[in-house]
Amino acid sequence: MTGISNDSVWITIQEMPLSLEEVSEFLRVEEAGGVDIFLGTTRRWTETEEKAAGGKTVRRETVLLEYECYKPMALKEMHRLVDEAFARWPVRRACLLHRIGEVSLREISVIAGVAAPHRADAFTACRYLIDTLKTRAPIWKKEHFVDGNARWVEGDSAPEPFSSPDTM
Amino acid sequence: MGDKKLQSVQVLLFSVIREQAGIDATTLHLDPGEAVSAGALLERLAATYPAIRPMLPLVRIAVNREYVPREHIVRAGDEVALITPVSGG
Repeated sequence: MTGISNDSVWITIQEMPLSLEEVSEFLRVEEAGGVDIFLGTTRRWTETEEKAAGGKTVRRETVLLEYECYKPMALKEMHRLVDEAFARWPVRRACLLHRIGEVSLREISVIAGVAAPHRADAFTACRYLIDTLKTRAPIWKKEHFVDGNARWVEGDSAPEPFSSPDTM
Repeated sequence: MGDKKLQSVQVLLFSVIREQAGIDATTLHLDPGEAVSAGALLERLAATYPAIRPMLPLVRIAVNREYVPREHIVRAGDEVALITPVSGG
């Protein structure tokens, strides 16, 4: 299973660069008057407050991001998110594409796109796709810094109805 | 050989916990008829790979590619994955 695609849904995880042009072509359909596309890209500078530095703001320089995933489960989760978006909003087309491996500065690691009759639903559904992907899809990024250091980014955990004993 | 496979559980590790353990996959064997919770399986793994223990409170467990509670009973033949906080996007 490398990806899922039908007339209205396009989901993939790939090492090849992602194409904004193909996404735009896919999303612009006659049923939609609003198309919202989110791009996640590799950022060069990250400012963080470091406890070790007494809460001072530290600016780190990234040279590339490296992505790893549990591919069959990530695809399954991405498909589920898109299904949820279709169920909640009048979505006509949606795509969720993620790149894995090394992603250099300014390059695109993720594209979430939604086509809907009107812009409000396109914005809302697109935001839902990217926000929930970041908490549920088993994908991880490692930041490689200019000084040769690297670290796995500790991301957001989903709210956990599953693993909390008091909800069982 | 087939019987052995029927009594084992495949465990997959990714990202930071994969690097801490030094393995990306391992096989745990169950006794015939043994019922083990996903949480107990994690403990068993941490006994072999103590470096992963500090991360266990943050780990979500997936069995056969679905998130499950720690009480979930793992069966022979299942695919278990340790999911540290994800950071895609």
